[in-house]
Amino acid sequence: MPKLTIDGRTVEVAAGTNLIEAARAAGIEIPFFCYHPYLTVVGQCRICMVEIQGQPRLAVACATPAAEGMVVKSETSERAREAREAVMEFLLANHPLDCPVCDQAGECLLQDHSMEEQRATFTTHMTETRRTFPGYESRLIGPHVIQNQNRCIHCSRCIRFTQEISETSALTYKSRGNSTFIDTFDGKPFEDPMSGCAADVCPVGALTIRGFRFRKRAWKLRSTPSICPGCSIGCNIFIEHHERVVYRFSPRENPGVNATWLCDYGRFLAESLNEQAYLHPQRRVSGQLARATWGEVLSALSTELKAARSLRVVASANLSNEELYLARELFGRHLKGEIVVPVFPGEPRRMKNGKRECLTSTDAHPNSHGARRLGLATVDGEGLVRFLRGATGTTVILDPSAHPSLASEEALQALGRGPLVAFARAKHPVADLAGWLLPTPSLASNEGTFVSSTGSVQRFAPAFAPPGTVHRTATGAMSPTCPTIASPWGPPGEARPLWVVLSSLVREMGVATLDLSSPADVFALMARTEESFAGLDWEELGGQREQSSYRERQHVG
Amino acid sequence: MEAVLLRARGVPDSRVIATYLAAGGYEGWKKALAMAPDAVTREVTDSELRGRGGAGFPTGRKWSFVPKDHPGPRYLICNADESEPGTFKDREIIEHDPHQVIEGIAIASYAVGAKTAYIYIRGEFVRWARILEEAIEEARRAGFLGKNVLGSGFDLDVWVHRGAGAYICGEETALLESLEGKRGFPRLKPPFPAVVGAFGKPTVVNNVETLACVPHIMTRGAHWFASIGRARNTGPKLFSVSGHVNRPGVYELPLGVTFREIIYEHCGGIRGGRKLKAFFPGGTSAPIMTAAEVDVQADFDACGQAGTMLGSGGVIVLDETVDMVEAAANVAHFYAHESCGQCTPCREGADWCKDVLDRMVEGHARAADPETLLRICRFSSSGMTICPLGDAYALPISSMVNKFREEFDRRIGTATPLPQKKLPVLPWAGPRPGFGV
Repeated sequence: MPKLTIDGRTVEVAAGTNLIEAARAAGIEIPFFCYHPYLTVVGQCRICMVEIQGQPRLAVACATPAAEGMVVKSETSERAREAREAVMEFLLANHPLDCPVCDQAGECLLQDHSMEEQRATFTTHMTETRRTFPGYESRLIGPHVIQNQNRCIHCSRCIRFTQEISETSALTYKSRGNSTFIDTFDGKPFEDPMSGCAADVCPVGALTIRGFRFRKRAWKLRSTPSICPGCSIGCNIFIEHHERVVYRFSPRENPGVNATWLCDYGRFLAESLNEQAYLHPQRRVSGQLARATWGEVLSALSTELKAARSLRVVASANLSNEELYLARELFGRHLKGEIVVPVFPGEPRRMKNGKRECLTSTDAHPNSHGARRLGLATVDGEGLVRFLRGATGTTVILDPSAHPSLASEEALQALGRGPLVAFARAKHPVADLAGWLLPTPSLASNEGTFVSSTGSVQRFAPAFAPPGTVHRTATGAMSPTCPTIASPWGPPGEARPLWVVLSSLVREMGVATLDLSSPADVFALMARTEESFAGLDWEELGGQREQSSYRERQHVG
Repeated sequence: MEAVLLRARGVPDSRVIATYLAAGGYEGWKKALAMAPDAVTREVTDSELRGRGGAGFPTGRKWSFVPKDHPGPRYLICNADESEPGTFKDREIIEHDPHQVIEGIAIASYAVGAKTAYIYIRGEFVRWARILEEAIEEARRAGFLGKNVLGSGFDLDVWVHRGAGAYICGEETALLESLEGKRGFPRLKPPFPAVVGAFGKPTVVNNVETLACVPHIMTRGAHWFASIGRARNTGPKLFSVSGHVNRPGVYELPLGVTFREIIYEHCGGIRGGRKLKAFFPGGTSAPIMTAAEVDVQADFDACGQAGTMLGSGGVIVLDETVDMVEAAANVAHFYAHESCGQCTPCREGADWCKDVLDRMVEGHARAADPETLLRICRFSSSGMTICPLGDAYALPISSMVNKFREEFDRRIGTATPLPQKKLPVLPWAGPRPGFGV
C-alpha cells in the first residue's frame, strides 16, 4: 500500500494503482482522454501530464504507478499546467468547434477539459486551415453508430474496446500521422454486438449512436440507476429520461457484472419502455371491454378471486422479487392458487466484467434467479401450455411478455375457456380474452430488486411516477420543466405497478401480515422470513433515486 | 586510420564467405563460443562500444539488462531499418560485408542467450535483404548458424524480416510491434525491450553498425577498440556525408574527429568553392549546427555538449545558397509524413509546423510564425511524446529558427497576406416550391 502526496494531499492507495486513480482517491481530478479504467493504458493523449519530484521530465499520470513516498504535482505545477494547455491547443487545432450542433455536447470530455483547464486568457496560435476528412463527417459505419472523423481526437479507446472487450477487432486505425483515421477493419460494417459501447467510450462526438442522435440534449436528461431487463446477467444501467420519456439506457459502473459495458440488445430496449398500450383498468361487460376505476376493480376483483373455484397464476421472471413474493403469498398461500413462472431461454448473451471474465446469460429474463430463490416453480413453453390447459377456474396472468408461448394458439385457446385476469402494458392477444385487463407501467416507473445470474441482489429505482399520477419534485411543486413540450403528467392513463395493485388487493382482502406500503417494506419482510434473502438490507443495495450520472459516467465514458 | 568496418570495400567478391574467412572472418565467433556469455558481454562493456543507431547507449550495458534467469526464449534484433534522412552507412556495410553483421549478430545472440535473431530491414532495401539472406544461407551451410553451432551445443537461427516502409519502425519498440505483425506504433516505456520485448520476451535491439563492431572487439580485444577515438567515445564510426560537399559518401573515421576534418579534408570541401552555412551532424533529427561550430568533435559527448547529437552520423552539409526556411519546411514535411499518429503533440504538431513553414515559403509569413514554431516545438519535445519522434522534428526545427532567426524574420518583412479564399455564392433561386410564400 504505497503512500504518496499529490498536490499536498497525502493518500494511500493499493499497489499498482496509477496516478489518475490515486489522485481521484485524494479528490483531485487529473484530466484524461485516452485513459479508461477498464481498457489497457496507452498514454497517447498526453493530457494527464504531472510533475513528479526528482524526475526531470513530466510524466503521464495514466502510465505511472503510485510509489511509496512519491511527491506529485498536478494542479500546483506550472510546468504541468503549461503542458496540458499545449496539449489542449494541439487537440483543438484540428477539432471542429461545432459544439452547438454536436450531439456529444454536454457529455464531451474535450469540451469539459477545455472549459476547466484552459485559462480564460488563452487564445490558440493555430491560424492554418483545419484538417478535415471529406466524406467522413457523418458516416454510418454500422447499424447503430455514426462516425464523424473530423471530431476524432485519436484516443483509440474505441479501437481498444473492440480489441479487448468485444473481441471483434472491428475498428482500426488507417493511414498515418495527421491523416490517421478510424475505420472499420477491411471496410466491413461495424456489426459488433456491443457497438454502442464504442460510442460510449468515445470522449468526443466522433462516434455517436444513431438512435439517440439529436433526440435530446445530454444536459436535459436525468439518470436513474436501474437494471437492464434484457437477460439474466443483470447489467447495471442508468435509465436516462426527460419529462417521463425514456431516451436511452447507458451503462452504470459495476466491476462485478458489466464493468461499464452494455450490449446493443439491452441498450436499445430503452425505447420499448415508452410503450403503454393499455391506459386504464378495463372490465369486459357483455363481450366489450369497458373502462373502470381502480376502486371498482379492487373490490370486485378481490370478491371474484376469493370466490374462484380454483386459481392458476402465471407469474413472470420479469417481475421484481417483491412482486413475486407478494404474488406467492397472496395467490399461493392465501388464496391457495397454483403459480408458475415461465422461463424463456432466448438468445444467449455475453458480457465482460471488470476482470474481463465472460458472463453468459441463462435466459431472457432479468429475474429468473429471483423466482427460483423464492421457490417458485419454473416451466418452459410446453409446460406453460399444459399448465393453462389444466385450468378449471380463474387464470391470472401477471405479465403477458413472460413467455412467447402465451401468444401461441394453444395457449390462447386454453385461456379462452375460463375467466381471465390479465395485467399488461404492451399490446398482447390475451387482452382480447381477458375479463379484467389491468395496465401496468414499465420498469421505469417501478421499484424493486432483481437477482442477477451471478447471484447478486440488485435494486432498481423508479425513474418517474407511473402515468396519471402527479409528479412532484423535492420542493413539492409539480415539475413541468417545459410544459409546452410534454405534459407534466407524462403519458396519459392510470397504469399502476404490480406491487401497488397486489398490496391494494391484500388490503382489500384484509391480510394483515402483508399490509405493506412500499417495496422496501416488502423486501424487509422477505429479509426476515426468506432464507435466501436473509440479512440483506434494502438501503445497502444501492440504487439511489437520482444520481448525477454525467459526473459518474465521465470517468468511464 | 585503417579501415575496420569497411575493410571489404573494394575487395573483389567481398560478400562471399570464402573472402570473409580469408580475412579472418568468424574467428571472433569461434572465440566467443569458447567463452562464457557473461565474459563476452564484459568484453564488449570494456570496449566502451556505444550504440551506433543514434542514441549512443553503451552496448554492453544494454546486453546486461536482459534478465539472466528468464525462462523461455529471448530475442536479438538487428535494426537495419536505416531511414534517418542522410544516413546510408548500414547499407554500405551490408553491401560490402554482410558476414561481418551476421558474425556480430551471432556473438551478441550468444552473449544475451538468444536462440533466434531477426534482422529487421527497411522494406525499400530489397537488394540488401537478398544479400543478407544469401549470406545467412552461406553461414548456415558453413556451420556458423543453425543447430549446434561449431559443435558448441548453441543453436541460433537468423531471419530477415522486411519492414513495410515506415520511418517510425526504426524506433526500437515500433520495430517490435511491426515485427509482431502489428501497426508500427511505439510502445510506452517502461517496460523496456530488454525485459518485455518482441512477443513479450526479453529482447535486445542493436544497430547494424554496432553489431558489425562486435567481431572486431572479440578478435582484437576491448583494449584495441578502446584505443581508437577518445575516452568514452571509442571505436571507428561511419559517417555518411551528403549535401553540398565535393565528395559525398561513407567515411570510416575514429570518433572524436572534428566536423571540419570530415567536411574539408575527407569530403574535399564545399561544392563549387562556396562557403559552409550549416550542417546536420547526425541526420535531420539532430539539431542543426552553424559554420561557426564546425570545429566541434564528431562524437557522442562533444555533440551533446554543443546542444546537438551525433545521432546516426549522417552529416548533411548545407552551403550558403540554402534558404533555411525552405530547409526547415523540407524537414517538417518529412516528419509530418512519418509521424505515426499515435500521440497528440507529434501528430498535430508536426503537421502544424509543416503548414506554417509551407505558408512562409510561399511568401505569406505572419509576424507570430517564428514564435508559433518555437511553441509547437517546445511542447512536442523532451518527454511530451511516447517516442523520440517528437524531439526528432521539434529540436532541428527549433534550432533552425533560433540559429537563423533573421532569415525567418526576413520572410515576415517581405510577406504578402494569404489570398482570401472566395466562398461560393449561392445563386438566389427565388421562392422555392413547397416552402410557402
